Amino acid sequence: MGARATSLKTLKWKRPTLGNRIVVENIDAGYGAVNVLHGVSMELNAGETVVLLGTNGNGKSTLIKCIMGLVRPSRGRIAMELDGETIELTGKRLEDIVNYGIILVPEGRHLFPKLTVRENLLMGAFRMAARPHIARNLEFCFEAFPRLLERKNQPAGSMSGGEQQMLALARAIMSHPRFLLVDEPSVGLAPILVAHLFEKIKELKERRDLTILMAEQNFNQATKIADRGYIIVEGKIAFAGDRSLLREHHLVKKYYLGA
Amino acid sequence: MLTLDLFVNAIVAGILLGGFLAAVSLGISIVFGYLDIVNIAHPAFVVLGSYAVYILNSTFGIDPLLAGIAMAAPFYLLGILIYRFYYAFFERHGAESLRGLVFFFGILFLVEVGLNITYGVDYRMVNAFYLGKSIEIGLVGIPYRLLIPFVAGVAMIFIVYLYLSKTFYGMAIQGVAQDSLAARLMGADPIKIKSVAFGMGMATASVAGALLIMISPIEPSMGREYIGRVFAIAVLGGMGSVVGTLVAAVLLGIAESLTSTFYSPSMAPAVSFGILLLVLAIRPSGIFGR
Ligand SMILES: Nc1ncnc2c1ncn2[C@@H]1O[C@H](COP(=O)(O)OP(=O)(O)OP(=O)(O)O)[C@@H](O)[C@H]1O
Ligand SMILES: [Mg+2]
Repeated sequence: MGARATSLKTLKWKRPTLGNRIVVENIDAGYGAVNVLHGVSMELNAGETVVLLGTNGNGKSTLIKCIMGLVRPSRGRIAMELDGETIELTGKRLEDIVNYGIILVPEGRHLFPKLTVRENLLMGAFRMAARPHIARNLEFCFEAFPRLLERKNQPAGSMSGGEQQMLALARAIMSHPRFLLVDEPSVGLAPILVAHLFEKIKELKERRDLTILMAEQNFNQATKIADRGYIIVEGKIAFAGDRSLLREHHLVKKYYLGA
Repeated sequence: MLTLDLFVNAIVAGILLGGFLAAVSLGISIVFGYLDIVNIAHPAFVVLGSYAVYILNSTFGIDPLLAGIAMAAPFYLLGILIYRFYYAFFERHGAESLRGLVFFFGILFLVEVGLNITYGVDYRMVNAFYLGKSIEIGLVGIPYRLLIPFVAGVAMIFIVYLYLSKTFYGMAIQGVAQDSLAARLMGADPIKIKSVAFGMGMATASVAGALLIMISPIEPSMGREYIGRVFAIAVLGGMGSVVGTLVAAVLLGIAESLTSTFYSPSMAPAVSFGILLLVLAIRPSGIFGR
């Protein structure tokens, strides 16, 4: 009986995602006269966890901002394929992109510090498509993050860094994402918390059947949960491959393993 | 016994005055607290609301409070228009502070002059069967023309409080003020959200206008008397805190009422500002500042 209940619970989150993906083709982008990305191409397929690796200032956030419509590429194209239909994302506004279900957990979390934990979560469900799922999603978030339930009436700004990052993730779940982008979730967290955080992301991914693109510098932890990854160096994709190849790559060894 | 009688009456009058002042200050507190806009024209809009109520009352005999509530809808729309204009010509260019203040000062002037040209400087008032009556409770007599504005003011504060804390748009108004990018990432359009907030501030001016004209006859430049007090209340209450606005308004109402009863009415404004300075020295974020 218990086992059956659980399997039903996991089942109800499943939805047809076959062939859904985000494609970035050969984009150049930057800020004013400064070009940061040079001919970057990548893709994110439904059901994958993809990690975007790179040290400070190599263009991870810029690429994520391009997908979200916060930075306009000067060349190339970004599109989303959804149930066999291709939707151009290039030139779309952030609001439209969010309404397609592409949800970002931004660098630095960007919580609403004076709103309570619960109010932050409800704000996550602001977009219309997320509203019908509020009750179930809220229950899911409180179950997946019991800490948030304990603190639901506390202002978000008064929580620890680790708790805030969990809240930022949970708030994004409340937005009912089709594609979840996470920009450097491990920043500023103690190593033990980072390990816990990535386990949580993995758990969320499996339970909710999420598709995740995550920018990270913490190679070791990030590659543990990633299916595939890209290494970005000075605005160019220096390497693309699956987890095992990624962990073997010389750039990774050079930058992260001190070899 | 005479002084006790006077004292109790002064306190009650102060509380009643406070509920009304809260209604007049609410729009300032919302717009200042959540939109960072110093809407110096707000008291003039309250007076505009009084004139709208005056017209509905004198032409159609509509109850002043109902008229004020009915006018809230057009005032809301007018507020959205004003914010859109302000956004397009000032906020978008990052010219909000000083030039924005000049913009709202200009509106204040326009409203005053407009009313002056249309209705002249004569005092106007409204009629309703209850306005001359009062109820006696023990030592105090409470006139309806003070009691109704108090009840309506408190009710309005309560409704706005519920709206801000319980609805998606209300939370979004707070959210946009705290982190505009984060709000956009949830799919909330800050310009739309701020328009709603500004419209709501304007809607409160129409209701407050009804309360103002119930309490005393009005003339076009009457808003000026309130500018200092309403900003004092908004700051004292902790900008954007609706409950704080009510508490601060009642405090100021009592202080003013006691001063004018036992000392001199001309000293009343000075006492308000004395309290403001004192509180800000101890608690710069206001009583309920978050
Ligand atoms: N708003 C901006 N205006 C101008 N230059 C910017 C802006 N944001 C980023 N840059 C520059 O673009 C380059 C790439 O920055 P980006 O934020 O994409 O790097 P990142 O890989 O995310 O780094 P980090 O790990 O530090 O977050 C850097 O040289 C940075 O200085
Ligand atoms: Mg970054």
